Amino acid sequence: MNLKLRIWRQAGPAAAGRLVEYAADHVSPDMSFLEMLDVVNEGLTKKGEEAIAFDSDCREGICGTCSLVINGVPHGPDRGTTACQLHMRRFKDGDSVTIEPWRAAAFPVVKDLIVDRSAFDRIIAAGGYVSVNCGGAPDGNAIPIPKDVADLAMDSAACIGCGACVAACKNASAHLFMSAKISQFALLPQGHPERHRRVTAMIAQADGEGFGSCSNEGECQAVCPKEIPISNIARMTREYVKAALLAK
Amino acid sequence: MASRGGFLSTSVGTKLLIGVTGFLLFLYLLIHIGGNALIFFGPAVFNNYAYVMEQKNPLLPLIELALLAVFLIHAFKTVRMFLANQSARPVPYAMKKPAGTPSRKTLASSTMIVSGLWLLVFLIIHVKAFRFGPEYDWPAGGRDLYRQEMENLSNPLMVLFYILSMTVVGSHLFHGIASAVQSLGLDHPKWTPRLLFAGKVFAVIIAVGFMIIAAWVYLNQPGAGRVRV
Ligand code: HEM
Ligand code: FES
Repeated sequence: MNLKLRIWRQAGPAAAGRLVEYAADHVSPDMSFLEMLDVVNEGLTKKGEEAIAFDSDCREGICGTCSLVINGVPHGPDRGTTACQLHMRRFKDGDSVTIEPWRAAAFPVVKDLIVDRSAFDRIIAAGGYVSVNCGGAPDGNAIPIPKDVADLAMDSAACIGCGACVAACKNASAHLFMSAKISQFALLPQGHPERHRRVTAMIAQADGEGFGSCSNEGECQAVCPKEIPISNIARMTREYVKAALLAK
Repeated sequence: MASRGGFLSTSVGTKLLIGVTGFLLFLYLLIHIGGNALIFFGPAVFNNYAYVMEQKNPLLPLIELALLAVFLIHAFKTVRMFLANQSARPVPYAMKKPAGTPSRKTLASSTMIVSGLWLLVFLIIHVKAFRFGPEYDWPAGGRDLYRQEMENLSNPLMVLFYILSMTVVGSHLFHGIASAVQSLGLDHPKWTPRLLFAGKVFAVIIAVGFMIIAAWVYLNQPGAGRVRV
């Protein structure tokens, strides 16, 4: 099939960008979306033009590196999938496809479709961890954790930090990301010693990075490739209130 | 790290404040519509209710001030948050589409700032007309609020403005009621879906209820033939 692409091209962080049209011809429905872009890039390279820069790594939906807004939806039209898992059979011959980078003040464009997501790393560094001292590895079952609680924590921990939640949110808020990271620890005993410090520090960091606030629309949970729900955001709020009341 | 003084100024604290004030305003509207519905029972009942509320209640000035404070905090915080949220995405998308279920995005949720600012204007006009408008004495005590309401809603353009504004308040609450509860950090696998639905039902009840009252008052002007509803 043949597609008409409109792709955001921007030479560098400070350069002005614009949408450029490309034709993607002879696209196989079995290709992944990123393979389709690879083929377009091969064509550009052969013509001596600069290839379209986009992020990817695992290409199997587990690393969170790919980050494309496809026809107005982060990661494209399929629910619970990353852009790298999207396949061209999802499109029809003659379709026009607009591809843009994540848009947020806290995610500045590096080049074309690549944005700098190190703001997420700094939020994690502010408190998204448990401190473990050296010593012998503790017995795996030394602390009993009910299965349903462990499952809930695992669901939150499924966040791959891709930033689609920010990209989808009209406020470019990082609340879903933060709340998933906070929840995975708040639900488990290992996360409790640092819980108060964690939630206050991570929220302060995210606010400082220039992410927005939450309007409870839940666009984030609709685009999240791991389908992480906004009940995590409510849990983060509870953690925040507890921290204010109980932190020493 | 945020100090305790900054508790309500972070992105989460701001939402707590907006949620609390929004929910209190919603609760106020429930009381307000209850009192207003007494207009159907005629001037004696309506004016007596107003008399008891206004003259027999020593706490009234305090309640009025609290309500005003809640309202001002809500308006101030939401407008400030809206502006901050706008600057969180300086470059807009060329194409942006709603993501679909399980998103809660609606036309109502996308226009909260518009409906909110409309309500700000409406409430200035509304409070000026009823709280600071011309007053008539009611022989049994207090003021003849019934007559005041009849006069305020005798102009068809005013009635139209009220009915439009009630659509707007309904829209604000269509997203707002459930949103406020989420902002307070309350969420439950069983109750949240019901709350989402109940919030919309309450929004429609409040909007339609006030519309009926405004229309009834207009259609039952003294001198005009009485219309029954
Ligand atoms: C009768 C008056 C009002 C009522 C009953 C009301 C009620 C509510 C409720 C229940 C919410 C949800 C709170 C939350 O999401 O946590 C809300 C949100 C909001 N209100 Fe109001 N409100 C009123 C007046 C206003 C006014 C005057 C403004 C603006 C000047 C305003 C602007 C907003 C905005 C922008 C939001 C959305 C905040 C967000 O993005 O999350 N409201 N309101
Ligand atoms: S490239 Fe790893 S998730 Fe898409």
